Amino acid sequence: MFNQLYESIVIGFKAVFQNKGRALLTMLGIIIGILSVSLMGTAINGIDNVFNQTLGMFGDDVLYVQQFPWFMGNANWWEFRNRPQIREEYSKKIAERASSISYASLETNRRVTLSYKENNSEGVDLSGRGWQSAYIDAAKIECGRYFTQLEDQSASRVILIGSEVNKILFPNIEDPCGLSIKVNGLKFRVIGVFAEQGKIFGMFSIDNMAVMPFQTLKSVFGRSQWLSVSLKIREGVDKEYALEEVRAITRGLRGLRPLDKDNFAINQQEAMEDELGKIKTSIAAVGIGISALSLLVGGIGIMNIMFVSVKERTKEIGIRKALGAKRWVILIQFLFEAIIIAMIGGMIGLGLTSLLVGVVNKFFVASMSLGLVFTALGVSIGVGILSGIIPASQASKLDPIEAMRFE
Amino acid sequence: MSLLKLQNIHRVYQIGDIEVRALNGVDVNVDRNEYVSIMGPSGSGKSTLMNIIGCLDTPTKGGYELDGMVIHQEVKDGIGIASDDQLAVIRNQKIGFIFQTFNLLPRMTALHNVELPLIYGGVPRVERLERAKAVLEQVQLSDRMHHKPNELSGGQRQRVAVARALVNNPSIILADEPTGNLDSKTSHDIMDLIDNLHKKGNTIILVTHEYDIAERASRVIHMLDGKIHEDNKKK
Repeated sequence: MFNQLYESIVIGFKAVFQNKGRALLTMLGIIIGILSVSLMGTAINGIDNVFNQTLGMFGDDVLYVQQFPWFMGNANWWEFRNRPQIREEYSKKIAERASSISYASLETNRRVTLSYKENNSEGVDLSGRGWQSAYIDAAKIECGRYFTQLEDQSASRVILIGSEVNKILFPNIEDPCGLSIKVNGLKFRVIGVFAEQGKIFGMFSIDNMAVMPFQTLKSVFGRSQWLSVSLKIREGVDKEYALEEVRAITRGLRGLRPLDKDNFAINQQEAMEDELGKIKTSIAAVGIGISALSLLVGGIGIMNIMFVSVKERTKEIGIRKALGAKRWVILIQFLFEAIIIAMIGGMIGLGLTSLLVGVVNKFFVASMSLGLVFTALGVSIGVGILSGIIPASQASKLDPIEAMRFE
Repeated sequence: MSLLKLQNIHRVYQIGDIEVRALNGVDVNVDRNEYVSIMGPSGSGKSTLMNIIGCLDTPTKGGYELDGMVIHQEVKDGIGIASDDQLAVIRNQKIGFIFQTFNLLPRMTALHNVELPLIYGGVPRVERLERAKAVLEQVQLSDRMHHKPNELSGGQRQRVAVARALVNNPSIILADEPTGNLDSKTSHDIMDLIDNLHKKGNTIILVTHEYDIAERASRVIHMLDGKIHEDNKKK
C-alpha cells in the first residue's frame, strides 16, 4: 500500500518534471491567483499593523469636537464648510459641564518651516495644544518633557518636535533639548522629542510634526479659525454616554433647538477604524475576485493539461493495469501530478509575493504571515485536487486491452 | 486436476448495431506444466481467448477457473464476473504476460520495469530488488538492468519482458506472438528461453501463427470462427 502510494507520487513528480515548460505555463493561472490572494492578505495585514502602530496615538478614550467629520463620505462639503466655527471657550465650558470628561484641550494646526543653523525642515505640521493635552495625547516622548500649564498660559517660546524633524534638524546631535530652533524666523527652545510613530500608508510621516503650547501659537501666529477640542473621557465612564453628554453640551453651546441637526462633529478613533474596515473589505473583495477568477482559469488549465497527460500515457496506463495496478493506484498517480503542478504554482506565487512585499514595503506597509502561507498552499492543493480528479478517474477506468493498443 | 478450466466461453462485442461473436462456446482445460500453443487465422478469436485467460477481458457467457479459483461463473440467467480490481489482483498474482510489442515502460530502467508487478503486489523494497535482479540474471541481462528500453536491442527488450512475466512466480505464462517483432535469429533465442521456462516447470500458453514455433509446444490448439477447430496433444 505505501509502496504503491510512494510509487504513484514519484511517477507524479517525474511526469511534471519531464514536461517542465508545459507545466510552468499551466501553473501561470495558479501563480497569479495565489499572488493576488497573498498580496491581498499582506495588504490587509499591513493595514492592521499600521493601525496598531500609528493610529493608536489618537487614544481610544478621546473625543474630538470639530467642525468637520473625519470621513465625510458623499455628504455635501459646503454644508460642513458653512457651519459655525469651533470657539476657544468650548474647551473650558465642556470641561466644566461634562462629568464624563476629565481633561479638555484646544488644538490648532498649521504648516511651518523649522530651521536649526543651515538645516531646514519644511512642511512641518505644527500644532498648538493646551497644557491639558499632556494628559490626553497618547504620543510618547523619547527625551525631554511636555510643556507645563504655566508655559501655556504665559505663551512661552517652547517647542516639542517629532522624530522626523529631529533627524533633519539635528542629524548629529544626541539630545537636542535646550537648543534653540527657528520657527518661521522666530526662536524657540526645544524641550522634548516625540518617539517615532511611523508612516500612514508610507505616504506621509506623522513624525514630521511639532507641538507648542496653544497660547504660544496664538500669540505668534494670531487667532486660528480652525480649532479642535480634544476631550479625555474620565476613566470608567461609558464611551457612548460621554459622547451623548458632550453632544448635548455642545448643542447647548451652539444654542440648537431639539429638532435642529448637529452643526459640529464629534470624531473618535472608531471612525478611523470603521473607515479602515471599509478599505480592508474592498481590498479583500477585489483580491478574492481576482484570485477566484485566476484560480478558476488556472484550475481549468490544469484539468486540460491532465487530460492531455492521460491521453499521452494511455499505453502506459494499459501496461500498468495489465501488470496488476488497481484503479486507485492509477487515480492517485494522476491526481498527484495535478496536485504537484498546482502546489509548485502556489509556491512560486508565494515566492513572488514575498519578493514583491520586500519591494512594496519601501512605499507601503505590507507583511506576510505564516497563516497566509498555509492558506495559499491549502488553496492550491484544493485547486489541484478539483482539477485533477476528473482526468485521473477517467484514467483509472481505462480498459487495459484498449489502452495497450493505443499508440 | 486442471490448472485452467474454460467452460462454454462466449464473447460478444457490440459495435454499433452489429454484434461480433468473437468466441462462440470454447471449452478448454489446461493442466499444470502444459505447453500449449494456439493457432488460427486473424479473426478466429485467439486473441480474445488469450485476453480472457489473461483476465484482461471478461466473457459474456461461460465459466472460468484458474488455479482452483473461480473467476467467472455461469449462474442462473447470466454470468457472475470478477470486478476490475479483483481481476487486477489475479493478473498480478497468477499471470505473467509476454507481449508481441514488449510493452515495457519507456522511461524506466529494465530493473524498474521488472520490479513493477512486485510493486503492485505490495512486495517490500529490499525483497523486490532481490527478486527482480534474480530473474534478470535468469534471462542473462544482469549487465543491462540499469538501461532503459530504448538502449536495448529487440531481443533484450523481450528478455526484460520475460523477466517481468516471471518475477511474480505466476501460475501461468501467456505469450502473445512473442517473436512477432523479432528477426529469426533472435526469435530462436527467445523461443529457447521460453522452452527452458517450460522445462523448469512453468505452464505456458503461446499464441502464434508460425508453424515452426507452434510445433515447439506439446499441444497445439487451432481456432476457427470463435471455436476450437482442432486440439492435438503430442504423445
